[in-house]
Amino acid sequence: MANKLERKTPLFDRIIKPEHIVLENGHSVDRPKSRLPLILLIGVIVVYVSMDATNFNIQRFLSRINQLPVILGQIFTPNFSYIGNVIPSLIETMKMSIVGTVVGCVLGLPLAILASSNINKNKPTLLFCRFLLSIMRSIPTLIYATIFALVFNLGAFAGAAAISLFTLSIVAKMLYEAIETIDMGPYEAMTSFGATSLQAFWAACLPQILPQYFDNCLYCFEMNVRASSILGYVGAGGLGMLIRERTGFRQYHDLGMILLTLFVVVWVIDQINDWIRSKLS
Amino acid sequence: MTTTVKENILEKLNSEPKNLWKRLLVTAIVVMLVIWGSTSLNYNGVTEKGATIAGSIIRGIVQPELATLFDFGPNGVPKLVLETMAIAVLGTIIGAILAIPISFLSATNIVPKPIAMVFRAFIMLIRTIPSLVWALVWVRVTGPGPFCGVVTQSVCSIGMISKMYVTAIENLDTGVLESLDALGCNTFEKIRCGVIPQLMASFISTAIYRFDINLKDATTLGIVGAGGIGFPLQEALGSGKWHRVGSFLLVLILVVLVFEWISNHIRNRLARGRS
Amino acid sequence: MIEFKDVSKTYPNGTKGLQHVNLKIEQGEFLAIIGLSGAGKSTLIRTINRMIDITDGQLLVDGTDVMSLKGKELRKFRRKIGMIFQSFNLVNRSTVIKNVLTSDVPDMPWYKTMFGIYSQEQKIHALEALDKVNILEKAYSRCDELSGGQQQRVALARTLNQNPSIILADEPVASLDPIIADVVMSDFARINKDLNISILINIHHVDLALKYATRVIGIRNGEIVYDGPTSEVTQEVLNLVYMGKAVPKSTDRIEIEGMVINNG
Repeated sequence: MANKLERKTPLFDRIIKPEHIVLENGHSVDRPKSRLPLILLIGVIVVYVSMDATNFNIQRFLSRINQLPVILGQIFTPNFSYIGNVIPSLIETMKMSIVGTVVGCVLGLPLAILASSNINKNKPTLLFCRFLLSIMRSIPTLIYATIFALVFNLGAFAGAAAISLFTLSIVAKMLYEAIETIDMGPYEAMTSFGATSLQAFWAACLPQILPQYFDNCLYCFEMNVRASSILGYVGAGGLGMLIRERTGFRQYHDLGMILLTLFVVVWVIDQINDWIRSKLS
Repeated sequence: MTTTVKENILEKLNSEPKNLWKRLLVTAIVVMLVIWGSTSLNYNGVTEKGATIAGSIIRGIVQPELATLFDFGPNGVPKLVLETMAIAVLGTIIGAILAIPISFLSATNIVPKPIAMVFRAFIMLIRTIPSLVWALVWVRVTGPGPFCGVVTQSVCSIGMISKMYVTAIENLDTGVLESLDALGCNTFEKIRCGVIPQLMASFISTAIYRFDINLKDATTLGIVGAGGIGFPLQEALGSGKWHRVGSFLLVLILVVLVFEWISNHIRNRLARGRS
Repeated sequence: MIEFKDVSKTYPNGTKGLQHVNLKIEQGEFLAIIGLSGAGKSTLIRTINRMIDITDGQLLVDGTDVMSLKGKELRKFRRKIGMIFQSFNLVNRSTVIKNVLTSDVPDMPWYKTMFGIYSQEQKIHALEALDKVNILEKAYSRCDELSGGQQQRVALARTLNQNPSIILADEPVASLDPIIADVVMSDFARINKDLNISILINIHHVDLALKYATRVIGIRNGEIVYDGPTSEVTQEVLNLVYMGKAVPKSTDRIEIEGMVINNG
């Protein structure tokens, strides 16, 4: 243990020696050289390479920026008569998000339990679950949706499946992090009078994480409504299909209406969620 | 033990707060929502090729196409990954810089409330429009290509980064500023010595966090022609080159995981100091 | 009856928790275990319900060899033994009665556990347990609204709710103030007399131990150095248990002058 506490000198300080300052009274102190120049240098190189790789061209941007007000002007004058087409798609998007969120949150719970190091003492299953969750989290929802649209046919089912999978991975991660910080005392007490670890978890640990779990579920729902609105772009149903179609025809007034509806719905859901949260706590 | 139950216990038992109904009601609402939600999600079954597709993709992840992975040409994986990362890097840096004035202008402890409200509405507006839609708009300005991705991400990042900056600014410890005032510092000196050191770490931490998100996002922007690995991935999916899809996904997973690990590491350091 | 036959416990890192312990405890005794921190008090208590495995010797509880128990048998065995902790180990966010009812969980079918459905009889039984420790009026309060002493009584009620024949208490009063500690100890004494439950308590407060226990075990470096009735505990015995260090009584005034600690 003792050796571990003594930290190794960082590589940087071994290459560029710290300045040795001796005060008048003979006391001395090592002042590590500033890392700022090195960090700046790396930063400049990274930015330069990135600009090169992305054909960064501020001139083209400035010469065509006048296009933006045109498009935004159309978006901000929504075509209100288009609402009739928006509503059915909006409902489909909502359905996808609700089902996806609920399924993901329910399935996330057992996975989170298996991924908590203080509950699951079996190292291989623990690591496997965490690995699986990491991989699932690293794939964007839109790519899930693209793949599912091919596997399950086009439509809302693919979207709901993509959302469930993504919600599952996020909820499980947030939850296992919460589970690892809980007070294990009640769990110990329950095992002391003969409960199995599952019973002890259910009765002693779950009440501790439940408020946070619900909070996470609400958060995911908010996020999913936004995310699911674009899944249709790759054929997974909902508003995204309209977005694709309308931008294809350059009907930005209609796009504006879609976005306005989305804005209102997201705002309403935010308000409802805040209300539920205030009730929960 | 007595078989008759004492009066006071029965009384207590009957005084139990009844919230069973409330719970049943909430459960019923959720169940009904789910049932309503499932009605139109008609499951058409797995497409004939569906199972084969899923199988091939997974096989592609496990046994990637080495030719694709090490193709250093314009359509090879290394070039695409570099392009994706470059989009995220520039998008994050530009977004993080643009967010600074906006967040100061929406912090209620810096500017009057009405002004703050206007800028907050602006932030909210940016956040509500999905990044894919932003890309669809910008692609009309910049034309297709990775540059469109950079512009899109710069704008989209402003939303979330500003929101987190505002929280940091509003939590500023004003005691430091008072003590600097007492030392006779002017406004510039106060900002240099009192404000920047307090905010720097959390600003950088936020930007790095956003980089993670942007990196993931940059992999999908290609779908609307904003550069990065998204378009070739989509193309491979569309033309049924499942093995190639698997290879792309493998690289994507690795890159995202590695950067997530690095960024967690740096952010922990920023939060807790070097130890 | 609890019987230790030459029991030893060596931890994986080489620390000796218990060394050749021989002990016989009859049903209905009130036993106080005293000793310095790290002397093995907790180890001794926790081997009885096998929260800690012994490495040598034999431990019999009501004729059952504790080390031979596995899985379901062990859990069934633990139903008879209650345990009280220094930190109470209650679910703070739940109500008092819910905490007491958790001791019924091991005997319930899974679907009842899952939805937290308890029968009327279980609820009455739990309320009776709360009544026994005089905290009935708090039954529907949340645990985090209660004081430390009240929380420990809830923990005691939870244990009583499982109808144990033995209660093991690991430093039950260590985080309570002296007056509340006395009240909680008197609760233990009453339960011991009224219900004939054996009680084993680890305790640092020697005066409380002497006031309520019928028998005292002194433990030092994992070995039992005193075992006898409370009345025979003398200053020499305490010196032996505490390695010659003076034992301040919890109610004494401790004066610190330089490095010397006087206790009257």
